[in-house]
Amino acid sequence: MESFFGRYRDLIVLLALLLAQVIGLAVQVRHSAVGANTFDSPDGSSVRLIRLWANAIVSPPERLIHAVKLGAGSLWLDYLDLRHVRQQNQELQKTIDRLRLEQAALLEDARQGQRLQGLVDFQQKYIYTTVAAQAIGSSGSDQSRVFYIDKGANYKLARDMAVITADGIVGKIRDVFPSSAQVLAINDQTSGAGVILETTRIRGILRGNALGQPQIVGILADNRIQPGEKVLTAGGDQIFPRGLPVGVVEKVVRDPERENFIDVIVKPAAHLDRLDEVLVITGTEPRFSTEQQQDLTTSETLMGAEAAAVKEQKKASAIMAERLPGLTDPNAPAATQSSTPATGQPGQTAPAPAVIPEQGKPKLLQPQHPDRFTPSTAAEIPTDENPAPAQDTSPATTPNAKPKPEQPNPQRAEPGRTP
Amino acid sequence: MSVLDANFRRELEVHRYPMLVYALVPLAALVLQAWLPRVLGRYAWFDLPLVVTVYFALGRPTPIQGTILGAAMGIFEDALSHHAIGINGVAKTVVGFVAASVGTRVDVENHTIRLILNFFLSLLSGAMYVFVYRILLGLELEWTWFTELFKAIGNSIIAVMLFPALDRLQIRD
Repeated sequence: MESFFGRYRDLIVLLALLLAQVIGLAVQVRHSAVGANTFDSPDGSSVRLIRLWANAIVSPPERLIHAVKLGAGSLWLDYLDLRHVRQQNQELQKTIDRLRLEQAALLEDARQGQRLQGLVDFQQKYIYTTVAAQAIGSSGSDQSRVFYIDKGANYKLARDMAVITADGIVGKIRDVFPSSAQVLAINDQTSGAGVILETTRIRGILRGNALGQPQIVGILADNRIQPGEKVLTAGGDQIFPRGLPVGVVEKVVRDPERENFIDVIVKPAAHLDRLDEVLVITGTEPRFSTEQQQDLTTSETLMGAEAAAVKEQKKASAIMAERLPGLTDPNAPAATQSSTPATGQPGQTAPAPAVIPEQGKPKLLQPQHPDRFTPSTAAEIPTDENPAPAQDTSPATTPNAKPKPEQPNPQRAEPGRTP
Repeated sequence: MSVLDANFRRELEVHRYPMLVYALVPLAALVLQAWLPRVLGRYAWFDLPLVVTVYFALGRPTPIQGTILGAAMGIFEDALSHHAIGINGVAKTVVGFVAASVGTRVDVENHTIRLILNFFLSLLSGAMYVFVYRILLGLELEWTWFTELFKAIGNSIIAVMLFPALDRLQIRD
């Protein structure tokens, strides 16, 4: 017996290792309800522990390499290559000032849009909170197009959060570790994202092929699909918000497995092969950041100041109107003014002035031909039973009036409102 | 042909290295394999853990160490991917065993032998990967052989350059 193990020791070790790994694989892969084997479920505790150890071993050197690379780059950019930086800084500062004002106005519009969407129960989601992260490593295998970012559970990242860049979508978080996270790129064969073609409005599922190209699968052959058409997220996968850029159609190929179906090869908008900084969408709730709130407050303050300025202008206009010739009759009796409504709405009387002395009130002249549209007299349409008051008239309809130099009356109707 | 003589390898000395080399070289291979594809993009046609596995397996008198090293490297690679743990492990376990078995029969100092060995062992690794993934596990996987071919060529070139450098680290009596 001893000679048997001694003789076949190498082979026994090999078989033992293979058997252990095959059993481990059998535990991880499950048979799905549709009849196919899948490995998409979350990892078991033991498997996750192995991944955690591997990540803990590899992440620190990767961070170090990444930091050295960034340090060397920043040393050159921040301390050596500084030509024209001051001029660029001034121009950028001006641009920032302008954009902040524009952004404040846009935020106002966005907030109004949210209110309207809430009214119609619109379910579209917007990106409001993101976490910036650096890509520090990958799986190292072209069969597993995942990469690692330097933010994890410490930044409250979670599984299935969308990862994007300014150019387009990148992938989704598959696994989260304490200080890093694994991102499944959209060009992996096991990924899936709901997309829509911008012009033809054809929907499909985006996933990667063997060459690492994203492709839309499972759509019927359609001659309208042409290279160059934009591809956007459809928003139905509950991961990517709707309307984010995915890429453009590169070419259309026949599905090798299904008749009358095509695969649309997509050129991704984001540079999936060379990612540096990405954004993780951590929230799609309607919420503004502190800076955006400050911009909004600034906007509202500016708008309030503008409204006050307009009010002052109107007040000055009213004063000037008081002083213009031909508006009032200085010789008209002052006592009759109190019984006259200031505004001429039919069936409506103006509020009685409370603090204005009788001498300070403007004295309106009687119109030559008053009718029901004449201000201040409409309430009392001249009839046989109710004749028109003698001194109540519109200033605009009085041609021979003289200016009255007394103090202005703020209760008086504005000239522009006179019909 | 002397390099393929069964008794030729037994007359050679066994390659031994400091423990630090055994620890750091595989670790460096794993880290670089995870980091370099970010720099090289789609042109990362190599598998450094496989090359290191082949190198250490060739230098030992028994296949056990090569088998264990291959299993460890493969499981580590699987742990960094999002696939089931063990697919690369099985592939590299077999590669480590085969490399160590072949290494006892050929002159592993010969550059041509090293180049050819790495080329075919890389193809074997790819074939084992597909076998486990598609046949053993029944999972869907699109596959392109020319990618594996490029990877085998890349591994062979790296091995020709890397093996002499690693030879300098071995302990000589």
